[in-house]
Amino acid sequence: MRSLDVDVVVVGGGSTGVGVVRDVAMRGYKAVLVDRVDLAQGTSGRFHGLLHSGGRYVVSDPNSARECAEENVIITRIQPTAIETTGGLFVTCPDDDVDFGDKFLEGAAANGVAATEIRIAEALAREPRLNPRIKRAVAVQDGSVDGWQLVWTAAQSAKEYGAEILTYHRVTSIERDGDTVSAVMCHDAKTGEDVRIGCHFVLNCAGAWAGEIAGMAGCHDVQVVPGRGIMIAMNHRLVNSVVNRLIYPSDGDIIVPVHTVCIIGTTDVKAPDPDHLPIPHDEVQEMFDAGEVLVPGFRQSRALHVWAGARPLVKDSRVGAGDTRHMSRGMSVLDHSERDGLKGLLTISGGKLTTYRLMAEHIVNAMETQLGTTHPCRTAEEACPTGSADATYVPANYHVTHRLHDREEDRTVDQILCECELLSRRMFTDKLAELPNGSLDDLRRQLRLGMGPCQGGFCTVRAAGVAHEVGTVDIDRATGLLRLFLKHRWLGLWPILYGDQVRQTALDNWIFSGTLDVEHLPEGAEVV
Amino acid sequence: MADVVVIGAGLAGLVAAIRLARAGRKVTLLTKGLGGLQLSQGTIDVLGYAPERVDSPLAAAASLPATHPYKVLGSDAITAGVAYAQDLLGDRLVGTAAHNVLLPTAVGALRPTCLVSPSMTAGVVTGGIKYVLVGFRQLKDFYPKLCAANLERQTAPNGDPIIARAVMLDLPAVADMADSSALAYARALDDPSYRAKLASALKPQLREGEVVGLPAILGHRDPNAHRHLEQLLEHAVFEVPLPPPGVPGIRINEALTALAKDAGVRIVAGAKVVSFESAGGRIISVGQATAGRIRQYAADAFVYAPGGFESGALAMDSYGTVTESTFGLPLHGLGPDLVTAEDPGNQALFRVGVGVDSGMRVVDTAGHAPYSNLYAAGGILAGALRWTEKSGEGIALASAVAAADSILKGA
Repeated sequence: MRSLDVDVVVVGGGSTGVGVVRDVAMRGYKAVLVDRVDLAQGTSGRFHGLLHSGGRYVVSDPNSARECAEENVIITRIQPTAIETTGGLFVTCPDDDVDFGDKFLEGAAANGVAATEIRIAEALAREPRLNPRIKRAVAVQDGSVDGWQLVWTAAQSAKEYGAEILTYHRVTSIERDGDTVSAVMCHDAKTGEDVRIGCHFVLNCAGAWAGEIAGMAGCHDVQVVPGRGIMIAMNHRLVNSVVNRLIYPSDGDIIVPVHTVCIIGTTDVKAPDPDHLPIPHDEVQEMFDAGEVLVPGFRQSRALHVWAGARPLVKDSRVGAGDTRHMSRGMSVLDHSERDGLKGLLTISGGKLTTYRLMAEHIVNAMETQLGTTHPCRTAEEACPTGSADATYVPANYHVTHRLHDREEDRTVDQILCECELLSRRMFTDKLAELPNGSLDDLRRQLRLGMGPCQGGFCTVRAAGVAHEVGTVDIDRATGLLRLFLKHRWLGLWPILYGDQVRQTALDNWIFSGTLDVEHLPEGAEVV
Repeated sequence: MADVVVIGAGLAGLVAAIRLARAGRKVTLLTKGLGGLQLSQGTIDVLGYAPERVDSPLAAAASLPATHPYKVLGSDAITAGVAYAQDLLGDRLVGTAAHNVLLPTAVGALRPTCLVSPSMTAGVVTGGIKYVLVGFRQLKDFYPKLCAANLERQTAPNGDPIIARAVMLDLPAVADMADSSALAYARALDDPSYRAKLASALKPQLREGEVVGLPAILGHRDPNAHRHLEQLLEHAVFEVPLPPPGVPGIRINEALTALAKDAGVRIVAGAKVVSFESAGGRIISVGQATAGRIRQYAADAFVYAPGGFESGALAMDSYGTVTESTFGLPLHGLGPDLVTAEDPGNQALFRVGVGVDSGMRVVDTAGHAPYSNLYAAGGILAGALRWTEKSGEGIALASAVAAADSILKGA
């Protein structure tokens, strides 16, 4: 068993957890973050990519609206490489209530959300594929955010302040010494080792899984309701700015352009288990119908991938048990010393990705209150490291030519392993060296491997072949990686399989079954 | 006016067109693309799995379900189809439909197939074989170390261990290019001096008794490339098929296209058949969307060989409705749960297709022919999982020959 000692253990590697570990580390505490899988593999990697302007909540949840408006500006400043400043539109579709727009504009003005009604012709000029029969259009400052990029840049910042990030470390128990938390026990899934992390404080940022973590410390009945939402990535940027329906928040009323694709979302259904989120056929159809209302011809576009995420919603007795959309989007910090008589444990839930930094600030303030210390929160002032990007990087709208430009320099000296996402061999081997135990899905989240139209048809074997060739993995693991990646791609594909993606799947079957006979390779290793 | 219009330029369409033209029929072949052969591995599979690995395809075909194209065609049709391919392609094919051989794939699986190019036969796995797999740093679709390591995890049919190792060459197909396709290598290897360059880099690394596995790049147009390289290396050499574009498939496609032209087939490529006219239960003509207008092609009989879902001839829309896209033909194999979370290679969707009678005339599920002069062949046929079964070429050949013969008999 390995052991280490820190001041604070942050449980959960989603946006909230990394925001918290960054804040804690910047305030001078020795901190470690643990997650049972990869960073942003839960809800923070399974959303639609909307950086809220606040517009969505100006009528339904004014506090959230105000927080979003403020945090939008901050995040865009401190994490520019994660953001596309697309701007957004709220539009009244033909069957929507025209008067809702007035409530919207009032709410926006009252809560500091920048919103300007524009002419229909202007909206259609900005977004030519938009339904030409829209009746009103309001321009807002919505943006698009890459959840993984957001989480990694915050994690990188935390590391520079001395924090340690331990992925694939599942919490197995939380130890207490009398009425105070004393250690977190973890199991390292990649090495099989148990790890004991002695600490004075645990910040539970496990999102939809927060109840389970609190239960390990003997704090039962923490009610975090997983609100399941499905999202579908379409193979084109059907819109170049975020397009919302100008209605009370509902299902399938947002389309967000992200990188090469656009994502429609979402649904909201109470889920019994955040680890098993079904993608029901009727919800998929509902998304397509909703897409058709905003962008006529939506169903003729190619759907690439579907996924489901679990929002961590705080239970509120004022709304019906099955309706999670109208539970509070607001964040709440549970102080277990008051609730359960256990010092050194706080749980945060609710909130949204746009306000992750503010959530972190709140829970770290609450921790310092309990510890009787005060340090200023500086997460809003200081930018996160931008990695390879220029220090003067300004967020911009995505253009297809960016990636071509990136590859222009090395196109004669390096190979393209994934043509869909223009991923070079060098980019792959560099990341593999950083993540020698990584699965192809771990690498995908960082590199977009296999996320394009062919959904791994050409790049999967290359990725496994390169990983084996450079000696990072043995043949059992290489074969296991190959098989697992194909299995995971299919999970996000089959519920939305139609049109050109059927044709692509037939070609992929031709390659993997027909030509390579992958299904009859000897068994591979069990891969995590 | 043609006697017969063939739609589709894959293995089924080309073979049907050649057979009809050689029998004196006036044949026009309409195609949108280049046909599916270049997507293929370039071997003639008859039946590799049913679902266990098959040694004798003809025998195994007899016990397939009644809905399978082979059951509709019958064993004689399979034999006739394969024999006709051997007639046409002569020394480009080695093997027999009576039994399968096992060849290493690019990832090192042992894949059953029937007829192969002579450039592949040295790779057939036998007891005591010692492979050396050779890759090129500049060719990203073949990883010899991965292939060799997976081969070593298996045994030969007699139970002997398989010995395999890898060699990686740093030899660009085109000077200073780090990323070259298999086709670029195949073109380079059409040049004897490039073969000499390859041999001089490789020969010193070979060991006594090793069989040399190279990616399938040994010449695009020069049929002597493989033999010449064997002479230079003084080792047996075999080709391992790669993902598309597949050079062995391209070679077969070009050979068959040349035979079709020699036989007088008129090939009109680059435009899709988008409409048809019918009267009295017969197809009168089909319309091809050529530049500027739809051009009508009338004929006495039509052979429909457009491929399946991979070509778009079969399509499923976002409501889950499956259609045949040219004639709106009745489909076989429809039902609930066409697509499930299970293995993508075993989806009921890919069994959906057009039904035929034993003469390859298109029929609905009740056995009635919607058009008395419309025949179907190849991947459009219902009832097979061609890639999982490794049955695509056998079905294409058997059905193409059967369709052509029905037309020739005036059925």
